Amino acid sequence: MNWNYVVRRVLMMIPVLIGVSILGFSMMQLAPGGFTALYTLNPNTSAEDIERIKRAWGLDRPMHVQYLTWARRMLTGDWGNSFRGGANVRDLIVERIPATVQLMGTALAIAIILGFVIGALGAYRQYSIFDYLATTGALIALSIPTFWFGLMVIYIFAERLGWIPSGGSESLRAGETGFLDRLHHLVAPALVLALVLTAQWSRYFRSAFLEVIHQDYIRTAHAKGLPSGLVLRRHALRNALLPLIALAGMQLPVLFGGALVTESVFGWAGMGRLFLDALTFRDFPVVMAMLMVTSFLVILGNLIADIALSIIDPRIRFN
Amino acid sequence: MSDYKRMLERVGQKELNRRRLLKGAGGIGLGAAAGAFPRGLRLRGARAQEGGEVIVGMSQETINYNPLLYANTGIDTVPEVLMFDSLLKILPDGTFAPNLAAEVPTVENGGISPDGLTWTFKLRQGVTWHDGEPFTSRDVRFTWETVMNPDVAVRSRAGHDKIESLDTPDDHTVIIKLKEPFAPFIHVWTSGVTGVIPHHILSKEADINIAPFNTQSPIGTGPFKFVEHVGGDHLTVERNPNYHLGPAKLDRVIVKVVPELPVLYTQFKTGEIDVIDYQGIVPDRWEEAQTLPDRVVVGSPSNFVEFIYFNNARPFFQDKRVKQALYHAIDVDTIIDVIYYGVPRRTNSYLSPDHWAYNPDLPTYPFDLDRANALLDEAGWVRGDDGIRVKDGVRLSFTNSTTAGATNREATQQYIQQTWKEIGVEMTINNMPAAVVWGEYTIQSQFDTLLVAWDNPIPSDPDPTSRLHSTLIPAESGAGANYVQFKNAEADALMEQGVTETDQEKRKEIYYKLQEILADELPWLPIFNWTDPFGYKSNLVGYQVNPYSATNLGNVYEWYWQE
Amino acid sequence: MAEVEARTNTLGRMIAPTEAYPGLMRQILRRFMRHRLAVAGAIIIIVQFLAAIFAPVLATHDPLQVNPIERFKPPLSEGHLLGTDELGRDVLSRLLYAGRVSLTVGFAAMFVTIVLGSLIGVVSAYYGGWVDTVLMRITDIFLSFPTIYLLLVLASFVRPSVISIMLIIGATAWMEVARIVRSQFLTLKTLDFVTAARALGASDGRIMLRELLPNGMAPIIVAATLNVATAILAESYISFLGAGIQPPNASWGGMLNNAQDFFSRAPWLAIIPGVAITLSVLSFNFVGDGLRDALDPRQRIR
Repeated sequence: MNWNYVVRRVLMMIPVLIGVSILGFSMMQLAPGGFTALYTLNPNTSAEDIERIKRAWGLDRPMHVQYLTWARRMLTGDWGNSFRGGANVRDLIVERIPATVQLMGTALAIAIILGFVIGALGAYRQYSIFDYLATTGALIALSIPTFWFGLMVIYIFAERLGWIPSGGSESLRAGETGFLDRLHHLVAPALVLALVLTAQWSRYFRSAFLEVIHQDYIRTAHAKGLPSGLVLRRHALRNALLPLIALAGMQLPVLFGGALVTESVFGWAGMGRLFLDALTFRDFPVVMAMLMVTSFLVILGNLIADIALSIIDPRIRFN
Repeated sequence: MSDYKRMLERVGQKELNRRRLLKGAGGIGLGAAAGAFPRGLRLRGARAQEGGEVIVGMSQETINYNPLLYANTGIDTVPEVLMFDSLLKILPDGTFAPNLAAEVPTVENGGISPDGLTWTFKLRQGVTWHDGEPFTSRDVRFTWETVMNPDVAVRSRAGHDKIESLDTPDDHTVIIKLKEPFAPFIHVWTSGVTGVIPHHILSKEADINIAPFNTQSPIGTGPFKFVEHVGGDHLTVERNPNYHLGPAKLDRVIVKVVPELPVLYTQFKTGEIDVIDYQGIVPDRWEEAQTLPDRVVVGSPSNFVEFIYFNNARPFFQDKRVKQALYHAIDVDTIIDVIYYGVPRRTNSYLSPDHWAYNPDLPTYPFDLDRANALLDEAGWVRGDDGIRVKDGVRLSFTNSTTAGATNREATQQYIQQTWKEIGVEMTINNMPAAVVWGEYTIQSQFDTLLVAWDNPIPSDPDPTSRLHSTLIPAESGAGANYVQFKNAEADALMEQGVTETDQEKRKEIYYKLQEILADELPWLPIFNWTDPFGYKSNLVGYQVNPYSATNLGNVYEWYWQE
Repeated sequence: MAEVEARTNTLGRMIAPTEAYPGLMRQILRRFMRHRLAVAGAIIIIVQFLAAIFAPVLATHDPLQVNPIERFKPPLSEGHLLGTDELGRDVLSRLLYAGRVSLTVGFAAMFVTIVLGSLIGVVSAYYGGWVDTVLMRITDIFLSFPTIYLLLVLASFVRPSVISIMLIIGATAWMEVARIVRSQFLTLKTLDFVTAARALGASDGRIMLRELLPNGMAPIIVAATLNVATAILAESYISFLGAGIQPPNASWGGMLNNAQDFFSRAPWLAIIPGVAITLSVLSFNFVGDGLRDALDPRQRIR
């Protein structure tokens, strides 16, 4: 492993993150509207009240001053305070992590397992009917809008059949809570989120297996008369699993995006919902922090992916 | 994401007046008088069950538990009434009851001076905060000081800015001197307007805007204590055994967020939630909801009125005949019946038809395209080649804005657009996200017309000064909320008279006259009066529709399950 | 989604580098025609396009005509093949007109994406040095946002219109194209066959047309096709989240926006536009896949 490369890549994250913050901050500042619009709708709030509220939150200062204040606080680990109630932004985000990780983790696990099985079968029985259906199915899955699929699932399984709860992450009534209850709530959103991921994973596993199958040593193994299943397990698997990390890393943006949509359709109280709420109410400290956190994770995912790839193929370093 | 698209579809929510109740398939007009039915349910020797919990479902999340700071009236009013108190309570019949005050100040008991300028509140003894500290006049004083503190982002100073001085001669007396007589002043001290906050905690905070008190550790004097808030999911509160109006019967109350309205209804139907609160039952399920077994649904009257807001500074809205023609060309009945499933009610004023100051003899503008056409002809607007009317080279074409994605609002716009087109008026829909349309665009009167709902500036009082007085146009003076830019000297005079007059009958006359002027000049077009489609399980006893409060949960401490 | 797709492909391409083939067009076409789903996709796209173009002829009703008495007519009702919506408007007619919006946005956004991406990619590759560094860092910055987050932030800040939506989608999708174009140009600049062609006295134009274009364009064409699919999807997300184009007009996503409120009463309002979106996106994906195979046969083993 080339440590120079890794260190350079890590250092490169800094200007990118600064760029992300400047871009995010300017978008919010230049955009019309703001969180005080919510007060406008309050019957007894007047124009003076709104000016006063803006001043109280320091929004009357020039944009660069606001940015520098924000950046300085961010560097000291203070993520700022929500405009809605003043809660510490880091607490707000940290609170939502378990729900989102639960959803994304379950979905990813389902996707990798299903994708592995479908991909392996497809590659092993290349050009079979199964392979054909799986490939086409994957493309269909990639073409369905996630939110619409979620709505259809709710319509059929909650509304019509009543098999699943219509939303939320748990029953709150005493005596009805617990692991099974949470699982019951988790199934539908996790499967919906897993749909797109499974499609991607099965495509990936299929081509990865094919790649390996067609490599010389497998042919040699076949020529030696080893049974196919054993060949697949012993030789192909190891080499196919290496880029798995790479794909998982690169998939983070999709995972976050999908989680956001799924959370909002199923009323799942995760980070995506927090972001949507914050955006609706122009709660900029929360929006900014969410953008920074997700960007950081995406960059980190890419970094891990690139490092994984560079182990597989050392030429990448110089790319 | 109907939460987001619906968010702020309706402004704030409720407050005040005379809501009527509906049970079963009664239809809007057949409700019993407010407050009558909770008692009706205590029939036939049903036994009260001690303890238990109630899950209240709402489509938006409670966020800010500081009663002075929250922005979202109707949503955050719920935790306020669960955990905090005000000096007074407003009852379902519109009368006041003492809460933290020992009695309601009147001229008779010496609480209000004959000139209306000095108010004396005697405070209840022995009240404690949830952390055991005693409640005293120091807290009331601190509450007022916080409202007037320029560094604190309190939502409104309405009423508080009329206070000349606030003195606390002893721990249980508050004496307030006003700058000028102000008829609606008593409302300032009720829940939803001024919840009392603890001096011993918040005075230590360097910045109240970001105090943990607001979101993580609210301490009130109310019937329930804060247990937990799970972001985006629920708020849990538990019984305060020392509540000064008697401890609650329920062990705990959970306020659950269900962002999707259809899902909110489904959970009410399946029993996952016990009470369906803001924004209530989806209009198209209203009929079905009335047939649900073991559920009571109530059309909870609100004082919010849906308006077409004109920017009266625009040249074509200077002529009132144009606005009258536009009013005649809105098919209000169909909008109510079809788009809103008959849930809201018609109103011809900015007040609910049940309001004590509502003028029942106002001129009406029935749906009549011929009349509308005639008015426009008379005003000199002639149809151009494209069918749109023109006068002096100006086309009768303008925009209408509301929150983008608000389903029913957008349906209303499209229907109005169609009927206006028939009289040669081109209305283009220009919707924006809530945080944009209700920002500068509204405040600085940059709109042509808006589709919006508003309540009165001071809840439960007919005074509309901040919305209509000619000196309170923010685009001109930076003050007030007269976004329609209405200027009328006669109306100004009436509004000034109205807030200083203390005799209710005389005030009524003043506001009757004001409404006549408005119905003729039409600075805005009232479309309907909102009714909230709420409901609860029928074995829950004590649910009370309070038309004068921003929430029906003001008396949760009296609720109990019947076995 | 296309982001990861494209990158997965980049992964694949590393393993199987591209090569130039002579007698290209006919081969490409033949290979494309062999890809049955791609052909089916192309046909569906053509049909959808014709439907959109001839919407005024095909529509049985004025798509904007509100008619409260006629509302919630189920599909196959008399006079309303696909039923009516909550305001009594004909769903088929609305679907046809909404298709115009969705397809326009899809194509226009793709166009913005390609132009923006190519511009940045070419400039970056041509100038190299610090220009390249800066532009590629900017690309990194945009790639660092999860697409939907960036899309939502932008969409919630502008007044919704066809143009603003198409610009927003373009602004969140150009990065992949920029990278592809840049790397294509960098590679091609040094390739032997270009040097050889030049040595043989071929003109720049001929090199571009005969050598660079077929080689360089393939991934761009594929990316463009897949981009239309992504853009149509993105538009539906924006509309669904309530930031779509202004009523009374609607896109397919916009039609869905209101539909969930009437699930139990009128499920077809949610089903029909969703199927239209899926079908359209799927077709573009099929065609993109087919093109990839046809243009770059070594890349996939099929």
